[in-house]
Amino acid sequence: MDIDIRAVRRLRESAGARAALGPLVEALCRSDADLATTRVVCDWIQYKSNFRDTVTVRPVIAADVPASSVVDGYELAVDLRRCARPETDVAAEVTAALSEEVHVTRGTAAGERAWLEPWVPGSASCVWRFNALYWQALADWEKVTGKEYEQSLPGGESDARNTAAAREVILDLFKSWDELAHRRALPEQLYVIELGVGNGGQARTWLDEFTELDRRHGRDYYRRLHYLMGDYSAHVLDRARQEVAHHGGHVSGLVLEATRLSGSVGFLAGKAFLVYISNVYDNLPSDEVAVIRGRMYLVQARSYLSGQAADEIAGRFGLKRAELAQLTERLLRIGPELLAESQPDIFPDTGQAVLFWQAVWTSLRQAERYVPLEGLDTYRVTPALTGEILRPLLAAEGDVRMHVSNGALSSFADTLPLLHPFGRMVCHDLFTTTHGDYRAGFYGPGKYDGSVVNWVNGPLLQLLASRRGFDARFSPFTQRPASNVKTLTVQVRD
Amino acid sequence: MTENAGIGVSPGGTWCTGGRHPGRLLPTTVVGSYSVPEWLERLKTEHYQRRISAAHLAEIHEVAIKAAVKDQERAGIDIVSDGELRRDNDIDYFLARIPGVHIAQRAKSDYYDYYDAAVTAPLPEDGEPFLASDFAFTRALTDRPVKFSFTGPFSLSRRIAVANGAYRDPADLVRALARRLNAEARSLAAAGARFLQIDEPFLAGYPEQAELAVEAVNIVTEGVPATWALHVCYGNRYARPSWEGHYDFLFPAVLGARVDQLVLEFARKGLDDLRLIREYGWPSALGLGVVDVKSSAVEAPELVAARIRRALEYVDPAQLVVNPDCGLRHLAPEVARQKLRAMVAGAAMVRSELNSSITHTSPASGERDSQTSGDTHG
Repeated sequence: MDIDIRAVRRLRESAGARAALGPLVEALCRSDADLATTRVVCDWIQYKSNFRDTVTVRPVIAADVPASSVVDGYELAVDLRRCARPETDVAAEVTAALSEEVHVTRGTAAGERAWLEPWVPGSASCVWRFNALYWQALADWEKVTGKEYEQSLPGGESDARNTAAAREVILDLFKSWDELAHRRALPEQLYVIELGVGNGGQARTWLDEFTELDRRHGRDYYRRLHYLMGDYSAHVLDRARQEVAHHGGHVSGLVLEATRLSGSVGFLAGKAFLVYISNVYDNLPSDEVAVIRGRMYLVQARSYLSGQAADEIAGRFGLKRAELAQLTERLLRIGPELLAESQPDIFPDTGQAVLFWQAVWTSLRQAERYVPLEGLDTYRVTPALTGEILRPLLAAEGDVRMHVSNGALSSFADTLPLLHPFGRMVCHDLFTTTHGDYRAGFYGPGKYDGSVVNWVNGPLLQLLASRRGFDARFSPFTQRPASNVKTLTVQVRD
Repeated sequence: MTENAGIGVSPGGTWCTGGRHPGRLLPTTVVGSYSVPEWLERLKTEHYQRRISAAHLAEIHEVAIKAAVKDQERAGIDIVSDGELRRDNDIDYFLARIPGVHIAQRAKSDYYDYYDAAVTAPLPEDGEPFLASDFAFTRALTDRPVKFSFTGPFSLSRRIAVANGAYRDPADLVRALARRLNAEARSLAAAGARFLQIDEPFLAGYPEQAELAVEAVNIVTEGVPATWALHVCYGNRYARPSWEGHYDFLFPAVLGARVDQLVLEFARKGLDDLRLIREYGWPSALGLGVVDVKSSAVEAPELVAARIRRALEYVDPAQLVVNPDCGLRHLAPEVARQKLRAMVAGAAMVRSELNSSITHTSPASGERDSQTSGDTHG
């Protein structure tokens, strides 16, 4: 039996975490589990709201065949944070998880969980449709919660106002532009792109600083500057537009899908001198892959409501339990406003539909299993990128489980071609920065308000950048050095 | 400099090195590199991480080159290449084999990465040629004319750090590399190479160095009896241009280059720079880039034909050779095949129009008059 404790720092710090290990092993020894093929993975899940139970069991599938798959072993996934609490009966949690898995596998407890989807790769899970709905119907969500989404972020605000950082970038741009102008190679239009505009604070800070520095520099670059703001949420974009209204025609706003940039801003290929991205990547769909005992697996997920949660929600809204999955699907398809319009008997107004949405979201859990990944070239990381890009990281050393960061990678890969040869990309986000990070911590998924958060696989982005001829470096986020946010800067190499 | 030197292809497939042999108009060719499939990239990297031997990789390369030549033949390309498939990138294959160039770390995390190369003393003038055997392998694979390309001395020099005062004037390193490449060219010619191309992918980044680059090109071509082409683009590393701008910087310096053909990219950048060919009276053949190698969108033959027709407003048909903008290495195999087929089809459209026009206006002239002619350099 392998016991993999990733929460190594917490293990030193938390007596409760250490105390949980004994009962855990004892409970396993008392069970019928084949200990020789059982793995135990202990994480410390820092997200108060997440998709995991205290203890869950993940089957490791032997062959890539339909649902009746032969199971090669089990992984017991343990949240040490909850196990460390005095009130948690760790042995009971282990026993219950093993028992539930047996029922699920045998189909003997089909009525217990309310499944919301079939087994799918993580990036295809309905949690990302919830995430998309959150940004699309943010105004409805905020109306019910009574607070703006920024207040739900860990620091209570967006990360994007730093005059000194803006000044440094702008002065670097001036240097490049002066050189290009000297060679008669400076384009007439000077493009800057910001993706994920938040409330427009970054754009305002940057543009205000730009006008001042340009005035002093005396080359009238502001006349040629075009600042393009892109965001998935029209609601957010509208707010940002108001913030920079005084820059008039120098600013455009575009509702766009961050993972499909080539279709929306592809016309700027090779033209962007700066692409600024803040807190976008951690909110894009991701698969996870794993190496277990030398073999590669894709993590499949399946969202569900526990029997107890399903009963509570059904009771609260006057529904039958069997209606929950269908109604959730309908919510994700048409949104809360139309859901209320179409089913006024259940939801008298949009607010009630939002409350249903929030109730399902709060209780939503994900079961997981490992399915064999046969041939990395057959696994599409993005429509244009095969799993071969993962090979150096997966082959690096021993067993590992990591994010593929499909959405971030897709967006990143689409962004690189936008850069002018003298351009740069600056990205603030939650990044793992070394391959070893995944051996020593938990990096999502978790829930931020109504959205999903995953740390982004930084070494994978670096690898892709390297394969495309760019140099990608991480540095602390200067505005809040103590935060988990890191700054990724990308520039042409060679 | 020969008058109207060219590279026509005779109807029977015999390659005319600018001699007075009947050939056909608008011959099609490639710039050099061919699509490197993902699996080959992986195997190359395995080699540089010491998991595949050089002998096994050489066998893999030979198989890949056979397939690349076959692909070009099937697409209808008149003058084919080995696809440069043995090369890890445009620089290191040469630097790793040139005596006197030191590369401390030869393992790479990715085969395509550049080495850190240095010279600590003047390069020795002697050394075993290493390119002729590459050419001979390809020559034996096909009855079609073979173009053999190699990176020029200026671009090679840009990836070499000079230490110990080995060359106080960087231009002397360029000249020394040129002499080394001249020896390679002589060896290639002795092995039967008739069409050689010098690639200068870095020159566009150093426009003020055009005269030095041309001087070095002339050292390379000196005394080598072949039809010479000079390819200058804006870079194709990672399928992106490394620089932007216009070909103005090449002129008038390039007029002094003793080459028979200038191979330039136009498909991606547009055809505006064709004016330079006329303004400066470029006297020899022009390799017209009609296919964008940085985009996976396959051009329609009609678009290729339109680009050729536009070029014919500036260049005599007998001066024109049709090729992609640059090497195809970054394109997926199927995309590369489709682009070549489109290029061949587009050239055929215009060729047909020209032949028809010639037949109607001068029945006695036909292709004979349209053929490029002249002696080769050497």
